[in-house]
Amino acid sequence: MHIEQLQLKNYRNYPELDISFHNKINVIIGENAQGKTNLMEAIYLLAFTKSHRTSHEKELIRWDQDFAKVSGTIQKRNRQLPLEIIISSKGKKAKLNRIEQKRLSDYIGTLNVVMFAPEDLALVKGAPQLRRRFIDMELGQIQPTYIYHLGQYQKVLKQRNHLLKHLQRGQTSDRTMLQVLTEQLVDHAAVILKRRFQFLDLLNKWAAPIHSGISREMEQLDIKYRATVEVLEEADKAKIEIAYLDKFLKLQDNEIDRGTTLVGPHRDDLAFIVNGKDVQVYGSQGQQRTTALSIKLAELELISNEVGEYPVLLLDDVLSELDDYRQSHLLHTIQGKVQTFVSTTSVDGIHHETLDKADIFRVTDGKVEA
Amino acid sequence: MYYPEPISKLIDSFTKLPGIGPKTAVRLAFFVLNMQEDDVMEFAQSLISAKRELTHCSICGHITDMDPCAICQDQSRDSSVICVVQDSKDVIAMEKMKEYHGKYHVLHGAISPMDGIGPEDINVPSLLNRLKDEEVKELILATNPNIEGEATAMYISRLVKPSGIKTTRIAHGLPVGGDLEYADEVTLSKALEGRREL
Repeated sequence: MHIEQLQLKNYRNYPELDISFHNKINVIIGENAQGKTNLMEAIYLLAFTKSHRTSHEKELIRWDQDFAKVSGTIQKRNRQLPLEIIISSKGKKAKLNRIEQKRLSDYIGTLNVVMFAPEDLALVKGAPQLRRRFIDMELGQIQPTYIYHLGQYQKVLKQRNHLLKHLQRGQTSDRTMLQVLTEQLVDHAAVILKRRFQFLDLLNKWAAPIHSGISREMEQLDIKYRATVEVLEEADKAKIEIAYLDKFLKLQDNEIDRGTTLVGPHRDDLAFIVNGKDVQVYGSQGQQRTTALSIKLAELELISNEVGEYPVLLLDDVLSELDDYRQSHLLHTIQGKVQTFVSTTSVDGIHHETLDKADIFRVTDGKVEA
Repeated sequence: MYYPEPISKLIDSFTKLPGIGPKTAVRLAFFVLNMQEDDVMEFAQSLISAKRELTHCSICGHITDMDPCAICQDQSRDSSVICVVQDSKDVIAMEKMKEYHGKYHVLHGAISPMDGIGPEDINVPSLLNRLKDEEVKELILATNPNIEGEATAMYISRLVKPSGIKTTRIAHGLPVGGDLEYADEVTLSKALEGRREL
């Protein structure tokens, strides 16, 4: 799939913008603070209805304006589809084919996007929430019902944490309600865990050969899911539910003491094992970067396999962070098959035939010249 | 303001109603100016009497102008079945169906620890008292099919189970007369989960 046209109105530092993309590779060049990343963010927003940088959506509206609009036309399975996101003080609207979608899960997944930004280099080393977010975003765009379960899970979790706080402070002593919320939580937790296991299995299949390629056959990558409950990856939903319920029963007093939910998908993590060692702890910075790159490239293949088309790739300021060998490996992989947007301050020093054929867009202060 | 005070007050009052924005409020206020005086008087009277004369039934919690309400007083209804709903509007919806002949219990909300609403803040205690005093055989839990409604139904069923009263939960799934292909994935998976043998 690819993006044919992108329009912005009152979006960050763009008062108005309308650009068409004809080529597979589009390089966006500009000095710092001119709006390169804002452009990338707009494409990301069109795919996920969320920004990758902020959860305060009002920030996306241009100063002194009351709404921001990002719209575009994408080509998917040889069909043109108009997409539109409007953000105003009243909230957010997502339109697919000009029809408003009440449920975001009906919208997300239409445009598939993989983003690789400097933050993603921290995927291996950074906080666990980065890795959970990674799984959630990727799973969400290939399985719409995953977003539903995740949303329900988060709502129940919020209710349950409030109740645990009330129990902790002695405002209530009603444990029946706690059991009810635990059961509700486990119902969604089991679905989420099961789907994450399946996703990890697929991701491993794609990432292992890619990693071995980037590392010149020197390294073997294995991604492991670290769950807060002891359960086999091939266990069915009912078995996972039992495992969770057992654990919650054992932890009940502890949870009340702490006033918060101690196990569940919201506390799980990923571990990246290279040649038998955990890269997060023992890996060099180079290994951590290679791992992050392998995972992003594996995502492209995984989504293409699940959806039937390559997603759009956003490389935000990340090319300059990679050494020559990794750069050319990346550029070689996407060549001719993945629509890619590359943002950078300059293309000097990057020599690759993929970039020579690219369309160049120059960004200065919220204006774009082709 | 550009309006004389009486009309700007009227506009403000309309704005307080749900679903009425500033523009609609202005349109309604000007409409009222052109109405017959009798109609306006009657309108004003009904607003006041709706507020003053309606209370909640001391048995089931439904809105009523007499206590106990007409449904609770009706001897022809089956008092061995109680349908538990979140809101008085839900009673009206059930009554329109004309197929349910049991009694009701209106909770006026759902349990939500996040909003500080516990079981004792909604009509759960009065329901439990009713179950002790009356001869009830079945409790139908018809709270909304969202997280809070579901949790409330589960909670009530836990409390009631030991007494041996049958508790049932209304089904959810595909709307009648709808097309399978237009159902969203979540509803469809719920419908599949709740399938039954023919």
